[in-house]
Order: sequence, then structure tokens, then C-alpha cells
Amino acid sequence: MLSPSIRNLAISCAIFSLLIFVIPEDSHSADIGNCLLCHKYPGLSRVDEKGNLRLLYINEKTFNSSVHSRVKCEDCHTDIKKIPHDTAKKVDCLTECHITEPSTEKKFSHKEVQEYLDKSVHSIYDKKGGLKEYPEDMPTCKKCHDNPLFRPLSFFKGTRYGISEDSMSRCRVCHKKEEFIVKFYNHVTGRLHRIRNPQNIAETCARCHDNPDLVSKYGLSTKAVFSYGETFHGKAAKYLDERIPDCLDCHVNKGESVHQMLGHNDPRSSTYKKNKGKICSNVDCHPKASPKLAAYGMHAEFSLEQSPVQYFYTAFFIVLTGGTLLPLMGIIFLDLIRRLFPDAVIRRRKK
Amino acid sequence: MKDFIKRLYIIAWMGLAVLFMYIIWNVTFNHIIEEYATRQQATEIKQTREELKHKQEKSTFQKVILESEETVKLYLGYRVLEEKRIAGHFHHIDFSIGPDKRSYCITCHGDMPHDNLKEIRAFLNMHSFFINCQTCHVKLEKAKTRLTYKWYDRTTGDLVDSPVMEAAPGMYKAKIIPLEIVNGKYQRLDAKEKIEFANEYREREQTLTEAQKSRAKKLIHKRVSPQPHICEDCHQRENPLLPLRTLGYPEQRIDIILSTEVVGMIKKYTEFYMPRMLHPGERTKK
Repeated sequence: MLSPSIRNLAISCAIFSLLIFVIPEDSHSADIGNCLLCHKYPGLSRVDEKGNLRLLYINEKTFNSSVHSRVKCEDCHTDIKKIPHDTAKKVDCLTECHITEPSTEKKFSHKEVQEYLDKSVHSIYDKKGGLKEYPEDMPTCKKCHDNPLFRPLSFFKGTRYGISEDSMSRCRVCHKKEEFIVKFYNHVTGRLHRIRNPQNIAETCARCHDNPDLVSKYGLSTKAVFSYGETFHGKAAKYLDERIPDCLDCHVNKGESVHQMLGHNDPRSSTYKKNKGKICSNVDCHPKASPKLAAYGMHAEFSLEQSPVQYFYTAFFIVLTGGTLLPLMGIIFLDLIRRLFPDAVIRRRKK
Repeated sequence: MKDFIKRLYIIAWMGLAVLFMYIIWNVTFNHIIEEYATRQQATEIKQTREELKHKQEKSTFQKVILESEETVKLYLGYRVLEEKRIAGHFHHIDFSIGPDKRSYCITCHGDMPHDNLKEIRAFLNMHSFFINCQTCHVKLEKAKTRLTYKWYDRTTGDLVDSPVMEAAPGMYKAKIIPLEIVNGKYQRLDAKEKIEFANEYREREQTLTEAQKSRAKKLIHKRVSPQPHICEDCHQRENPLLPLRTLGYPEQRIDIILSTEVVGMIKKYTEFYMPRMLHPGERTKK
């Protein structure tokens, strides 16, 4: 008869050996359940009862470069207890996962994000705590977020997700475990800048804020991302400039979560009339700028109905520029013709 | 000569003046015109898309993933990830494979044809992504000749070499198809004339009588076996249906496909979920 300790050791060895042989070589440690045995196939899909496509494929390589790469499948898909499994339930992002937050040693969850969101302008609740008239229009986690992917820091020449071999070499001096180094390097560097490029952030906001139905339903004064795209900032964002301010830079108070965004009528909001001056003149943007700079109609569209002052002002300068330079070029062209044909005349004068 | 150079010099300046006029026109008056046209166009496109969305009865893999125009570009710094966008889909797709344009069945049945059997529909659809419908749905039990299996290109329909070693599992731009050997040549079961017949039937379906429809359907499905091959026909070590080695699968992959893990899972499905359709006669016995 084996002693309990030897028996436990034997069982552990057996499970370990099973995992080694069963899990494919290139499988990431998060796939302990070997879910990719089936979910690695791109055609794994079906049509749901509402007629929508449900794609059940997981791109392992892309998943492994995401912020959730260390999270086991069953940590989010908590109802899956056996293989083969039944139809999985919708993932609840507020579920506590296996990761322990080191400063409090509590299990990690996105619950606090939801609390922030509930107090923000995007909450499904109104100020009195009741449900808003159209709660379905308010963003949920997946309306804004897909699985966030690590991006290398812009000041390193990145060739793969979030990794700079230059800085990794410094980590390796003290830390010896490669898995530990990659994990913490990605964790830290991923938070030193936005997980998404300004253009991608603008596109995310545009899904609602440029949606004509929602713009008219809520009587919004502008298609926010379209008008952002008309500005110098927006044009630079289209050229993938990482330093340019995106929606979040102006609409979220410095140091606060992006989920804490407030409406422009809220005195605590960064876009509240009295606070607007601080947006442009913050230390990261234009520190010497006058507060009056923020008085500029950032979301003014070239539209007579929406912003008549800007419309006539812009139209005047377009007409002035075109109306001056085009005739000037025309006169120069005619002058050059005269120089080319100095004696040419259309009608000779009668002597 | 001096006069010639002078004239050339003037012509060059004239060209420059025209170029400047073109640029100034574009950034001033033309900008206003284009801006207006873009606004109008954007509204029209939005309306058309909404109308199409309402008209569309149900999504298909081809429409949503393979041919969709709604793409998203993620700028990751070290690469640009461009993928099709599925609203509310969390995981990244990140693959690009063309639609199967040489299929007899997809035009009518769609590219996710298995949607009745709740428990295994996704698995069956997964297989139909790289296995042509006829592979499972045509059995030549009484035929003298045996079917041969080859890969064909999804876009051109041409027979191609095995893509297995060049791509991730299931991520192939080719599909397995059964072929007959007629007069020493490989021949598809769905000849071009048959596809044309099926397409014509689809176009004229509304004008046909019920009897004509029934006859046409019988002709189209003439080679289709009443009972398709079942999972175990391939996922077994003794005489599997598909010659995996000939189809270019390496030994390691064959081991996985025929492993106790996969076979065991199929058995679990058989025990818990396998529909009666795949066990002919069972229902009548009961």
C-alpha cells in the first residue's frame, strides 16, 4: 500500500505527463484545457438562433499577444466544465479570474471598471439611479473592446508584440526566468502608453458617435469623430501619429480611468465650460497656451446648420485663397504666353 | 539655339503655373465640392447598408468573414492587423482565406450548412471549411470504382498540392474533394455542366411547378448518399476513409487526428449527443 504522499506524487506525475503529451507543443500555458484542439480551426462556426454568425475560432498566435494571454479559457467561460461542452453562455467580464492582484491579494475582476462606468456619462442609469430611456444604446464592454493586443513602445524598434530585445536584455541581467520576464515586461510596457493607437480609439468612439441614427436620436450637435478628423489632430491621427491627442485625452480628467468619462454639463468633467481651458494647456500638450485656446470649436463641422460662424469663416478663406491665387496663376500663364509668342495677335489693327 | 532654350524655359514655367492652378483648385473650390459629395455619398451608403442588412435573411461565413467589406485595421506598431469585423466578437480573427468559388452545394446550402444539429453543427461546419461537401455526402457503396481524394484550390477549382505543411491546421486555401477516374483522368463529381444546371434551377425556381422542382432537385442530388459518412469513418486507425498520408498530412498530424483523444471525444459525442440521423434505423426500431 502506497503512503498518501507517494500516492499524491504519483498522481501529480501522471497528470503532468498527460498534459505534456496531450497539449500540443506550441500551445500556450493558458490553454490548459486543450481547448485549441478544436478551437484552432477557422471554420469552427455556426449560425445562432437569431441568424447571426457565431465564430468559435481562436487564433492562438494573436491570442498569445493579447493582455488576456495568461488567463485560462475556463476563467472567462466559467460554465464550461467538461469536453465536449454544451453551448457556452455569454462571458461576464465581471467574473473573478484566477489572477491575484498583488497589492491586495484579492482575485482580479473588472468589477471596478463597471462601477466607474455606472457613474459615467455612458452609464445605463440616470442621475436618479433609474434606467435610462434607451439603456441598450449605452456601451457595454464588448461594444468598445475586443481582446486588447500588446503594442511595442514607440521609442523601441519593435518586431513582435510588446517586446524590445534591447530592454529585455537588461531584465535578463537580474531575472532568470524567461516566462517571468516576458510576462512582466508586457504588463508594464503595455501600460506606459495607450493599448490602442489614436486612430483606433477614434474609430471605436465613431461606432456610436458617428452613427447617424444615434446622433439624431440624442440630438448630438456633431458627428464627433468626423469633426475630429477635420482638425489638425484628427488628420495627424490618420497618419498614425502616436503623440496626437485622441478622444480620451480631452474627454477624461488626467489621472482618471477612461471609464470615468463625464458629460460636458457635469462640473467635474474635463470638458465642462470652466474646465476646458486646462485641456489644451496641460503639461503634455501646450503648457504655455492661454485658456482661451480651448474656446475654439473643436468639433465644429464645415456645416451651415451646425456651426454657421466657422462655416462662413472657413468658406471666406477658401474663396479668398482660391479667388486670389487662381487668377494670379492665370495672369502669370497669360504673361508667359505673351513671352512665348511676342508678336501674336488675334485681330490686327487697321492701319 | 539661345531662342530655343528660352522658349523651353518659358514652357517649363507655363507647366509649373498650370500645376499650381491644379493644386490650388483642389485645395480650395474642389475641396468644397468633394466634401459635399462625400457627405451625400456617406449618407447613401449608410442607407443602402441598412437596407441590405434588413433584407439579409441570415449570415453566412462567406458574407461575414470571407467577402465582408467591413474590416478593421489595428495599428500595433510592429504590424498592422487587418481583419473582418464582427460586431461584438471579442477574439481576433486575423486570417485571410478566399471564398470557395468552385462548389456545387454552397450556392444553395450556404457555407455553414450544418445548423440543425445543435450539438455538433459547429464541428461539422469546421470540417466543411477544408473538406468539400461531397467527401462526406457521396458514398459509392455499389460502384466498382473507388473514389480518390485530392486538394483543390478554393478560388480557381484547380487541383493543387497539399497545403497541409504550409499552413496552420485547417487554415488552407484548398479543400479536399473526392474524384473519379474516368478514361485515366481525374474527374470531379460536380462537373461544370452540373453547376450550371443547379444555377439555372436557382434562377428559374420561382417559375417551375412543384413536379418540375422535385425532378430538378432529384437530378441535382442524384449522387448524394441518403446517409453521409460519419465521424468514425475517418477518425479511426483501421482503414480510415481519407488517405491522410497521400493528402500530405505528416505522421504527427495523423497521430493527432486518429488519436484516442479525438476518437474518445467523438465517442463521448456519440454517447451524449450524436443525433439519430447518423444512426439510421434507430428511431424506427424504437
